[in-house]
This record gives sequence, structure tokens and C-alpha cells, in this order.
Amino acid sequence: MAAIAEAPAPAPASSAYERRPGWGAWLFMAPLLVWLLLFVVAPTILLIVYSFAERDSFGRVVFTFTWDNYLAAFQWKWLKILVYSIWYAFLTTVICMAVGFPAAWFIGRAPERRRNLLMMLVMIPFWTSFLIRTYAWITILSNQGFLNATLLASGLTTSPLVMMYTPFAVVLGLVYNYLPFMILPIYTSVEKLDNALVEAAYDLGAGPVRAFSKVIIPLTKPGIAAGALLVFVPAIAMYAITTLMGGGQVPTIGEKIQDQFTKASNPPFGAALGTLLLLLFFISLWITQARKRTA
Amino acid sequence: MKKSSILALSAFAAAALALSGCGKPATTTAPTPEPSKPAASASASPAAANAAATPADDETESKTPDTGEPKELNLFCWSEYVPQSVIDRFTKATGIKVNVENYASNEEMKTKLLAGGGQYDLIQPSEYMIQAFIKEDLLMPLDQADVPNLKNIAPEFRDMPFDPGNKYSVPWMAGTVGIVVNTELVPDAITSYADVFQDKYKGKIVVLDDSREIVSWGLDTLGIPVNEVSDENLEKVKPIVAKWLPLVKVYDSDSPKTALLNGDVALGVVWSGEGALLLNADKKFKWVLPKEGVHLFVDSLAIPKTAAHPKNAELFMNFILRPKISTLISEDFPYLNPNAAARKFLTPAQLANTASFPTTEEIKQMETFQDIGSQASKIDDLVTTLKVQ
Repeated sequence: MAAIAEAPAPAPASSAYERRPGWGAWLFMAPLLVWLLLFVVAPTILLIVYSFAERDSFGRVVFTFTWDNYLAAFQWKWLKILVYSIWYAFLTTVICMAVGFPAAWFIGRAPERRRNLLMMLVMIPFWTSFLIRTYAWITILSNQGFLNATLLASGLTTSPLVMMYTPFAVVLGLVYNYLPFMILPIYTSVEKLDNALVEAAYDLGAGPVRAFSKVIIPLTKPGIAAGALLVFVPAIAMYAITTLMGGGQVPTIGEKIQDQFTKASNPPFGAALGTLLLLLFFISLWITQARKRTA
Repeated sequence: MKKSSILALSAFAAAALALSGCGKPATTTAPTPEPSKPAASASASPAAANAAATPADDETESKTPDTGEPKELNLFCWSEYVPQSVIDRFTKATGIKVNVENYASNEEMKTKLLAGGGQYDLIQPSEYMIQAFIKEDLLMPLDQADVPNLKNIAPEFRDMPFDPGNKYSVPWMAGTVGIVVNTELVPDAITSYADVFQDKYKGKIVVLDDSREIVSWGLDTLGIPVNEVSDENLEKVKPIVAKWLPLVKVYDSDSPKTALLNGDVALGVVWSGEGALLLNADKKFKWVLPKEGVHLFVDSLAIPKTAAHPKNAELFMNFILRPKISTLISEDFPYLNPNAAARKFLTPAQLANTASFPTTEEIKQMETFQDIGSQASKIDDLVTTLKVQ
């Protein structure tokens, strides 16, 4: 989100006083602030309070103050689960970038009238429920599914390819679901990109590679960064796809957090894991911000 | 129980912004290919014929008793366990609107009930959870006069150890966990857990994503009773489960039949209702009760102490105990129906389904789960550790 904020640099204000929002601005902000307070701040505080609580043998939450939940979280298995989740999120982000950038570039450079149509085509699959789309993939990828049936009938393979419940299926599902979050922000950057700058690069003797790396990439960087954040962050905790398409062989952090609130009936420990994950996001965001400031 | 719950990830923008990612509320019914439909329609006609032959049907008894409560009932039940047709009929007969909320495990139900966020009039716990709830004094005693249809339940499912005298609960459905074999892919005879968890079947097995279940199979293998889950016994089970888990391809408590139907796995250790649906779907599937041991689960309806409409809840209990209504449940979810009066209306094919109806001898051998308190989280921890070993 940081990238979005810094994207269009507003005209520099002459003094700090002029930049302070008036009461009118606060009024317009009020609904958003209330929403944030109710649905972001309050639940986060609740989560943190829970993370220091205990559970009795029946599973009731007992409000005490203990670090036990955090101590229990620092175990090899939880680290492994976290690394596994981050690895899938990273792979998803990289592939989304590789696929999403050319798509966003093509759409952003298309004639204006066609752009809206193309953007619409990107969005259309998402009018269908997430669950139905995921089940559709299962019927396509399974051993007796559409893809294997086609391959067998065409004689390209002699035995079904094992695709379902593999890492391949997981990454495919994640990329498929998060691609629009990469395309949308990059498209916004590409659309705003002044073509004259690209032409100027060519005029000054830059080849396609140089024009791309020295002009196009830096100018669309805010979009790429926003897209990466929008894909990476939710993909870490996403487990619906890893359980449905990956078979849940190695649990992801999101799945385990949910398990603590349900199956394992240990909400305090789930809250501790959730708080740690939140902390991780804040720290990584803070580091990227700090690096930007020093750069 | 626990069929296709799963993950309503509706507003995708919201999901993208929520830092902690996505939820898995068990409210949506997954659009799985339901093999129950052909089974249901196949059995519907003889059942209907039966109905015509016996006009003294329990439908006619409906006098629509007025409970004096607002016409509302908040039902908190397993996903894919209460047919919509049953709910519709109840509303039609009584005018009571039923609000349904689903869960995917007993523990999830318990956590939500304890958190106090929702107002529930009727819950559907399994036997060990009923036992724990009674111990914690969380259930409202039933007025036996309001549930006369309890007489329809077979004697062996009445007055069970977890709720002596049915003071708090009436049985919904019972079932077991057993092995499903796709005989086209597995020609060998499979009779036990040891036969399933062999190296040659690596990547061809689906099991329930349920830590207590998995550990109980290990206990059965060692000949330890399933409720003796001391730290010492868990240590003994560990090497067995550690050997099993790497062979598993899919963990799925919600709809384990999907992977079997699609041919992605050849063997499964699944709920008997799922097994029964597979047997109905294709003759190549075979149901086996593992010789190491099997446990019986009994899911019941009970009323939490905090219920706002307890009389409506009792009305619903009595309603689903009617034989004809009970057969509707069996048609959609072919578990072991404890309603003896309802079995008369089931077709011979339904009764012959070995997954739905084990023999009386077999049932006698079965153990049932008991409340194990905080050992439950140790079991979950054990299985998590072994999954990432």
C-alpha cells in the first residue's frame, strides 16, 4: 500500500499548516475511520489480548497474562510451516509478475475503447464464486479429468499425468486467483506512462532491453510494487487452495491458525500465531519503507 | 458428519486486503459432484410406493402445536448433514422459520458456542462432545413429554452411556470410519489399516483431516483402547503415524469421496456416509471395516442452556424422529440411521449398503470416543509435527 501512497506525487505544499486536513475532510473520512476502528483496530486488539490468555481443559478462554503461547510458537515445525507458506506466496508473486506485466502492458497500450473491454475480460471469471472456480480446476486437473482425457485421446500420453494434489496444482490455483491483483495496479501505471518518454529513450539510442529496464520498469515500479504486495500478503495466509488443490499434505500457516480456533480449540495459541504473522508483515513493511527513505 | 463444509471466500477484494488472509467458514455447501442424487432418486420410487401403501403416515399427525415462542429456530449443525427438504417440511408443518449455521468439527461448534457470538437453539454434537457438555452443565434437560417420537429410535441407540436416559439429547445419525477400496486400481485384498498404509500405495491414499481419528487408527493398530490417550500411549503411536503420513496424498474431512471418485487416489479411510455414497456411485468401490478395530460415532441433537427457543427446538427434535422424515435424511446422507421405525421405509438396496449399516455383531465390537479434555490439543500437536517431519 505504501507504493500506492507514493505513486502520484502531489504538488509540494508550501507549509505544513496548509496540508493539515480541515473539518470537512475529517467528515468525509469519518465513515472510513469508523470502519477501520470497528473492523481492523478492535479485532486486532482483541487478537492481541487473546494471545496472552490461556485455555482450560474444556477449551474455555481464561484471561491471564502468559507468554506461553508465544514460546510455543517458536518451534521448528511452526517455522517450517511459515517458510513453506512464504515460499508458495513468493512463487505465486513472481509468476503473477511474469504473466501479469505483459498482459497489463498490452491492455494499457491498447486503444482506449478496447482497454475497458480487455479489463472486463480479466475480471469476468471473478464474477463466479471462488469455490466454484476452484472445483472447476479439480475437474480439469484430476486423473480422470478433462485435461488427462484429452491428452490420452490425442495419444500424446499413454497414462494419466498426475497433476491434482501436487505443488504444481497449488501454484496454478494461487496464480489463477491472484493474477488480477497484479494486472490491475500495473495497468494503472502503464496507462499513465507517457509514451513520449519511451520514444525519447529510443531516440537517444537505447535498445529495447535498455528502454525497458531504464525507463519502463522505473516508471511502472509503483504499480509493480503495489501488485506484488496485493498478491504476496494474502497468498501467505491463503490455505483454501492449498487444501483443496494440494491435498493439505503440508499445512500452511493460515490453515493452522484457523485450526487453533476450531479443531484444536485453542484460540489463545491461534491468536498468538496470528499476532506474530501480523508483526512479520509490519516489520517487512517497515524495512522496505526504511530502505526507500535511505535510497 | 463433516462433509463439504469449506471456505466461502466471497468478496475477493476484501480477501486481498485482509492481512490474515482467508477464512474457512463452514457455511457454504461445496458444489462437489454429489453421487447421492442418483442413489436418492433410485430409492425414491419404492419409498413413495411404501408411503402410499401406508396412509397412516406420521405426516398426518401434525397438529401444529403452538410452543408459545416466536416462530423462529436457530439451528447450528454439521455442514452437509441436515437436508434442506427436512427443514422445508418443518417450516411448512409448524410455520417456524429455521436459521441454519454450519460447522465442520465438534470443536469448532464448541469454540463458537463458548465465544457466545451466536444465538443457538439447537446443536448437533457427537457423543464425546455431548458427554463433555453435560459435564460442563451447558445443556438444557429435555421435557420427555415433548419428544414422544424418541420411541422410534432403536433400543441400542437409546439410553447410551454418554447421555443416560436421553435426558439431554436425541440421536440424529450414527456411523463409523472405515476403508474404501477402488478395486480397479487395487486388486489386492485390503482388510486392515496395515494393508492400506503400505509403501506401494504411497500417493494413492486419502484420509480424514482429523487428528483424533488418525491417532485412533494408530491406537487400534497397537490394540490400545481409543480413549486411552495418555502421553505414554501417544509416544507409542508416534512411530506408526510417522510411517503412515508420508504415504497420504490428500487430507480431507469435508468431502473425501471427491478424490476417490476422480481417480486421484485408490484407497481412503473415510466416514461411512461418504463410503456409502461411493458404493452407490460405482460398483468398483468396496467398503471394509479394518480388522484392527472400528469406532462408532453417534451424532445427536441437543439444546444449549442459552437457547432462546427451547420449545421450538424440542418440536424440531420430535419432527426429525418421525419415520418418514428420518428416511429423507437417510436418502441424502446414508449414515447408520438409528431410527428403527424409519428403517421400514428404506429400500432393500439402502439397507444392504454395508457402509451405512454394519451388522449387529460388528456394532457390538465397536468402541465410541469419550471426552479426552486437554489431551485433544496434544493429539493435534502430534499430528501437525508429523505432517511437517
